[in-house]
Amino acid sequence: MTEIPKESKVDPRITKKLREIVGEKNATAAKHIRYAYSYDMSFVKPKLPDYVVMAETVEQIQELMRFANLEKIPVIPYTAGTNIGGLCIPERGGILLDLKKMNKIIKIDAESHYAVIEPGVSHGQLAEALYAHKLRFGWPVGPPSASVSSCAINHGIGGLNARYGLNSQEITSMEVVLPTGELVRVGSCAIVEDAWHSTLPLPKLDGLFKGWLGGTGIVTKLGISVHPIPPFLKVFTVSCDNVEDMYSYMLNLSNYEICDDLTAVSWWLAQVPIPYPYREKPDGQPEWFSFANTNSFTQKEKEAREEIWEMVVDEEKNKGTSLKVTQYPEEALRARTQLPSQIVGSTKNYCKMAGAGISWPGTFTPANKWAPVYTEWKKVLIGHNLSPSVRMSMYRGVHYGMLRAMIPFNKQSVDETENARRAIVECLKIDLDHGGIPYKPPVDFGNEINKRAHPGYLMLLRRVKQMLDPNDIMNPGKLAI
Amino acid sequence: MEWKISSLKDLEHYFWRCTACGTCRSAYDFGPPPITRPICPAGTEFGFEGYYSSKGKAAFARGISDGSLTFDDPEFLEAIYKCTVCGGCQNQCQVDYKPHIPEVIEAMRREAVKNGAGPMPAQKNLVQSMKNYNNPYQGPRRVRLDWTRPFKKAKTPIKDINVEPAEVLFYVGCTGAFNKIAQAVPQATARIFQKLGIDFGILGESEVCCGSTAMRVGDAEEFKRVATTNLEAFRTLHSEKGVKTIVTSCAGCFRAIKKDYILSSEYNQMMDGIEVLHTVQYLHRLLKDGKLKFEKQLPWKVTYHDPCHTGRHLNKFRVDKDGSELWEGAYVGVDESECLYDLPREIIKAIPGVSFVEMDRIRGNSYCCGGGGGVMTGFTDWAGKNAGLRIQEGMETGAEKMVSICPFCYFNLTEGSKRIGSAMTLHDLTELIDLALPD
Repeated sequence: MTEIPKESKVDPRITKKLREIVGEKNATAAKHIRYAYSYDMSFVKPKLPDYVVMAETVEQIQELMRFANLEKIPVIPYTAGTNIGGLCIPERGGILLDLKKMNKIIKIDAESHYAVIEPGVSHGQLAEALYAHKLRFGWPVGPPSASVSSCAINHGIGGLNARYGLNSQEITSMEVVLPTGELVRVGSCAIVEDAWHSTLPLPKLDGLFKGWLGGTGIVTKLGISVHPIPPFLKVFTVSCDNVEDMYSYMLNLSNYEICDDLTAVSWWLAQVPIPYPYREKPDGQPEWFSFANTNSFTQKEKEAREEIWEMVVDEEKNKGTSLKVTQYPEEALRARTQLPSQIVGSTKNYCKMAGAGISWPGTFTPANKWAPVYTEWKKVLIGHNLSPSVRMSMYRGVHYGMLRAMIPFNKQSVDETENARRAIVECLKIDLDHGGIPYKPPVDFGNEINKRAHPGYLMLLRRVKQMLDPNDIMNPGKLAI
Repeated sequence: MEWKISSLKDLEHYFWRCTACGTCRSAYDFGPPPITRPICPAGTEFGFEGYYSSKGKAAFARGISDGSLTFDDPEFLEAIYKCTVCGGCQNQCQVDYKPHIPEVIEAMRREAVKNGAGPMPAQKNLVQSMKNYNNPYQGPRRVRLDWTRPFKKAKTPIKDINVEPAEVLFYVGCTGAFNKIAQAVPQATARIFQKLGIDFGILGESEVCCGSTAMRVGDAEEFKRVATTNLEAFRTLHSEKGVKTIVTSCAGCFRAIKKDYILSSEYNQMMDGIEVLHTVQYLHRLLKDGKLKFEKQLPWKVTYHDPCHTGRHLNKFRVDKDGSELWEGAYVGVDESECLYDLPREIIKAIPGVSFVEMDRIRGNSYCCGGGGGVMTGFTDWAGKNAGLRIQEGMETGAEKMVSICPFCYFNLTEGSKRIGSAMTLHDLTELIDLALPD
């Protein structure tokens, strides 16, 4: 059983004003509505917002922010609530601003390869619209109902990391309502109203709103790069008996930059679902599996990519590693290649067995630290009776990438949730000490990051936050500063 | 007769299996091409997370179980009833909560009724009517036979099975009997049976509501009363009047008898030797046997609306009850073979002259008409508005007519069509069959 969310104090005057701004039906202080926004999948303790508001227009958001700023009421932006870091759980109550009704795909420029979307647009929705133009985006392993915009502005990852970079690197322009209510634009749309193609060569002001966990403004329109769908898919699948061999293979293959997604998962993460509690890997099973998706425009291109991959495999075998060309478990592979996916998105392959809870130490970590970090994580997680269900993904053109452990737990049990939290935070500390940085971090992680941060970084962070959000009303507390 | 109807407490483990991932919010298919469509009528209308699909309902259930949410809050009570219990969200869910989603929603309502708070005022009238008249429409028993007047007039009366034996009991259902618009459904059904020379009869004034409505709004006691009465009547009809098959054209009745009556400890004993079929199943068999032969052309362009109760509500979920396969309570898989998806489509396509087009949301991902779960009674305006959305979707196919196999959908979608000023008309499949058969 979870703990009951802390009760909040509702002021009818505030509710009345919110209704004036967004309409009678779109603002409420009803407890049952607030309750449904008080928790998510993560270990973060439930907390109630005081009000829930659904905005439908940019003007409503502006008016709301002006009012909230005047009254110094926290505002927590929310799209689908599918993150696993408690990012939309209000730390200090306030107004939960649900943006799901702002779900228009404003523009798809199939010629220039960008799209302009509102914050409530889901991956499933955009996938359908883009497919009509034979275009795609880097779909993450989240629910099809998850928000494209929230994923991108929070440095979410997607299925095209190794080809085009992180989803936040795909952002081409932004329209944002500041915590003080002003409407601003960054990127080409700031100069020419209908030009959403690039944040360059202007100053990269988009950085003011990326990775801030909704702490600096409400993104109301987002331009993103979109890409053609090459018709020939080939998935390279190999296995290794240990993490070092898998790292060696990934490092080698990534040099050729032929993959859309170059990922390896531990045996525990290759299961659908992740075993909970921990169970030993059966003897004879490899400890690591890799899938590397490549998409080609012609058969010859595909064959050329295969040729490179075969060369890499031969090289790795000649090194005497345990690498084998193998089959990836069918359902797990489908979940990784048919994105957006209900299998992985519904957390079927994550927490189905554990029950309701999932969190992670999700990090960007230098690739040469993956093996030592994994080895330490494994000890910690098994010590907590949790599966070391770890993923490593190489990013575009570099030798660093995502290292994360998806840790399911039984959210109905306070003790099991706390056990997972402790293990995850312990893992996070190990990774931080190896030079990794967590993304979409819950407050527990923020505290650990900031403990290690350069004082100048923290000063700058505070100063920028203060400049944009003088009354600290935007999702306060999440940055742990 | 003992009934095994779950309490909210019984289901606690399952609503705690909801991961709050939100996959349940929209019908999604990878394709290619990928398709994403809204699937939750309540979420579509009210927007806030609590209203949305099974994720929101799990939140409500958790709130009730941890004492945060109580039925003395009228807004909360209303929110529990603002759900059509259509199962659209259930079709998306992939975790152990899946098989139990409608059960959890109805268990909350049962809890509300037990607390003296539920159901909604209009629904209370409906249940009271069941107690008074054995139907939810506040109709005196004699009115139950109004739909048969054309048969009497045509001197082709329908057999009263209480008087004369018959192999087939046509269980009409209250909506078909009492709802003026939906009376077209039993009338077409009976005409078809007569044309085909089927030996059938009806219970007439003595027919008792199946109890579906009471069950959907959380009044388990009233459901048990009428269901027990019906099971006993079916047994008697089998032993004394030779009834071997019960046929109904009502999706709600069909769902109740197939899925709710099996919660009785004596179901197998009472129903031994009796087969329960939806009219579509019965007629499809005749079609396959060559006994249902269409002769007339029907130059209609139609689309088909899958009712929730003849579709995904008939899913059979495989749950690992003892942990021998996966773990205790694990959702293992789903068997759709009893869902009536293909049969109505095959019949439609077999009718000469009919041009058939599909909507985007079909079969397991059909978008509810908005009338189920007590919504048509409790929140009439919203039910009609939602039906208008479905009609709009039908119109986008270019079809002129929407076909279905549920008198509830028939009525509600008709209201939806009127509401949006659409020229699209609703037709039960039996009406098409009737028109295509020789006189």
